[in-house]
Amino acid sequence: MIEFDQVTRNYGLKKAVDRLTLSIQPGELFALLGPNGAGKTTTIKMIVGLLRPTAGTVRICSYDIVRETRQANRCLGYVPEEPYLYEKLSGREFLQFIADLYGLGREEAAIRIAREIQNFSLAEFVDQMTESYSHGMKQRLVFAAALLHDPAVLVLDEPMVGLDPRSMRIVKDLLRERANAGMVVFMSTHTLGLAEEIADRIGIVDRGRLRFLGTVSELRQQLAQEHTSLERMYLELTATAEEAAARESSP
Amino acid sequence: MSTVVNNDFIPPVGGLLVEREESRVFWQLRVRMAIATARWMLATARLRMSLVGSLSLFFWLGLFVLFYHGFAFLSSPSIHTNVVEPLYNAFFLALMLMLVFSSGIILYGGLFSSPEVSFLLTTPTRAQRIYQHKFQEAVWFSSWGFVLLGSPTLVAYGVASQAPWYYFALLLPFVVAFVYIPAAIGGIVCLLVVDRLPSIRVHALVLSLVAVVASMSWLIWTIFNGAETNLMTPEWFQELFSRLRFTEQRLLPSWWLSTGLLEASRSPAMVPLGDPPWAQSLMYLALLVSNAMFFNLVGTWLAGKVYRASYSRLYDEPSVRRRASTWWLDSVLARGAFFLPHDVRMLLVKDFRLFRRDPVQWSQFIISFGLLALYVVNIRRLSYIPNYSAMIGFLNLAVVGLILSTFTTRFIFPMISLEGRRLWILGLLPIRRDAILWSKFLFAAVGSLLPCMTLVLLSDLMLQINLPLVIIFHQVSCVVLCVGLSAIAVGLGAKMPDLRAHSPSKIAAGFGGTLNLVISAGYIVLVVLLTALPVHLFLGAGQEAPQTFIDQCIHFMGSSAGIASGIALTLLTGVVATVWPMQVGLRAFRKLEL
Repeated sequence: MIEFDQVTRNYGLKKAVDRLTLSIQPGELFALLGPNGAGKTTTIKMIVGLLRPTAGTVRICSYDIVRETRQANRCLGYVPEEPYLYEKLSGREFLQFIADLYGLGREEAAIRIAREIQNFSLAEFVDQMTESYSHGMKQRLVFAAALLHDPAVLVLDEPMVGLDPRSMRIVKDLLRERANAGMVVFMSTHTLGLAEEIADRIGIVDRGRLRFLGTVSELRQQLAQEHTSLERMYLELTATAEEAAARESSP
Repeated sequence: MSTVVNNDFIPPVGGLLVEREESRVFWQLRVRMAIATARWMLATARLRMSLVGSLSLFFWLGLFVLFYHGFAFLSSPSIHTNVVEPLYNAFFLALMLMLVFSSGIILYGGLFSSPEVSFLLTTPTRAQRIYQHKFQEAVWFSSWGFVLLGSPTLVAYGVASQAPWYYFALLLPFVVAFVYIPAAIGGIVCLLVVDRLPSIRVHALVLSLVAVVASMSWLIWTIFNGAETNLMTPEWFQELFSRLRFTEQRLLPSWWLSTGLLEASRSPAMVPLGDPPWAQSLMYLALLVSNAMFFNLVGTWLAGKVYRASYSRLYDEPSVRRRASTWWLDSVLARGAFFLPHDVRMLLVKDFRLFRRDPVQWSQFIISFGLLALYVVNIRRLSYIPNYSAMIGFLNLAVVGLILSTFTTRFIFPMISLEGRRLWILGLLPIRRDAILWSKFLFAAVGSLLPCMTLVLLSDLMLQINLPLVIIFHQVSCVVLCVGLSAIAVGLGAKMPDLRAHSPSKIAAGFGGTLNLVISAGYIVLVVLLTALPVHLFLGAGQEAPQTFIDQCIHFMGSSAGIASGIALTLLTGVVATVWPMQVGLRAFRKLEL
């Protein structure tokens, strides 16, 4: 469903993503971890078609994101870190716009809008203009919009930012259930616990390179063998040369 | 949120939208937003709407009357009967150049740096549709000024020349078709520059800006060069026509527009032979419409080819991380303001740093005051009656004040609002809240004094005013204006902050900003009248003894005592306009919950 084949993306001389090869299959919930500036957001922007690879190909549902952008985007749902909403539309009008954009028929759209309003408890504010929403309300509406057309691939950039604990729980359950139903969920996060809790596979990137790739059980096995924690392992994998040297020299 | 989600994965239904459906979806979006905005304004901003509407109507009518008399004067046989054609050609050519430039810049912002396109590009929307969506916005934003300024001119010409009814009916189609051509050319240039020359796009922008300013200056120079003598005489007009001959190029859309409109304004009775004028006019309209469609089609086709790739390529360049450094002027300001309390001084330096690091602010400041300086330096080229030089000086003072008031509304009024979510940082600092407001007031007042006083002095020197009293009056009035306008903007900004807004232009366009602009305009008129009227009456006073009470009043106003009273009242007005808004602002700011 998502395939990276030797994907490189440069910003000038800097390699933001370096020869990334990765395949994520239907029903898989994949979490991408990494420090700030590691290349997570660049990777996500290449999946959703905002940025094009300098080299290599990205395929979504077998569609090349560069050559068949619209078809690829048709399979995608995207929840960005900073959601964009039309301030002078109500939540319902925004959902209707998304339904129209994805070519859902009137009846189908009405059913799905009602479903997402219920799933994300939007009823209280869905008819108010989005300019009055808090960050959490906006985030919930964007989740609803991203899932409205039942995409085959759901891409999330730091999805839990701004959500209250209850909403976080619901989103976690929902992502898990959607993945179980066959959807690909690709998520970038800083929250190690979240990745460990719900992801099937975890990738850790640093300075554009994939430093670790494995399932959560493989990860747990490795952590158990090395008597370490995910946090410790993450810090070791993403340490700069200076940090690694400092850590080795410390008692 | 519900805790049970029982919703098995269903493969996507619905296909990719065909062009017509996509177009409908985006039109619906626009209509929904327009209706929602109109409802919101009617519900929450009636006063603002009526204020803006009335001012626009007032402005429109004022321009209409001005142009009506202008056209009536120009159509008198003693001047010239065909004077309008070259003027229209020059006006529309200048407008066309400006529209290419402004729509190109607006489209660049809309297509490559707006959050909306970052969202739309992740949906299965065609690149062509996104381009069209943003292009329509650019057309509107770049041309509404033309509608406001151009429509009274064109209607006044129709009324003054007793044009037939279809002239008025054809105005809108002509203007819309014309505006689309430069806007589409601007869009094509924008796409090509970003696609082909992404790394030098800023240089291309600066070069185009220089080219537009140079061509405008050349056009103005062409019109007014040698205008010191014989202004508005038939010889002057003849010379002007020959200079403006280049605007009559048959391939220019501006020429099609002016010719089409002038044809429509002629009565069929005036042309007994050949095609009737309305048919000629329709031919030019068809020419404009077909070209507008052609250029729009080229722009849309180009967007389909290059837009997505250009958007991605734009980010190939690593973002430049500018090193923040202390500039010598920061140190000069910090040392020069040694007499101020430490907290006020530090805040003053902070606001100055923000100003100098924001090109939008200082570039607009330089452009506006630079153009004003250009006008003042060239004022002698325009023939005027020397006896009125003192009054022209006062009018120039009012113009300086009005320009300053647009700056205080655009940049000073939003300052407190823009602190927004950062305000708690200032609120928690061990400084007096009053210091925050005083620092902003000092920043505005001191920052505006030097350029404004220099401009007013330059104007007096160029007008060869040799009465020291008048020069002193101008300078005193200028100080009163700078200080008062700064206090009004800071005080009202603190009284009516919009802490959720991020865009200064949005804050300035809100009710508070509009109110600030209106109060500032009223204040300028009052100050200029209080000083100009006594001086005018003093300079033109006769020897006859006043008969009636009104005569006595006028006589008093034109006396030395009247001038002294005028200056005292000006100072009093300045004190009230400074102290009162600042008090209101300080009181509101002290109570503001962070």
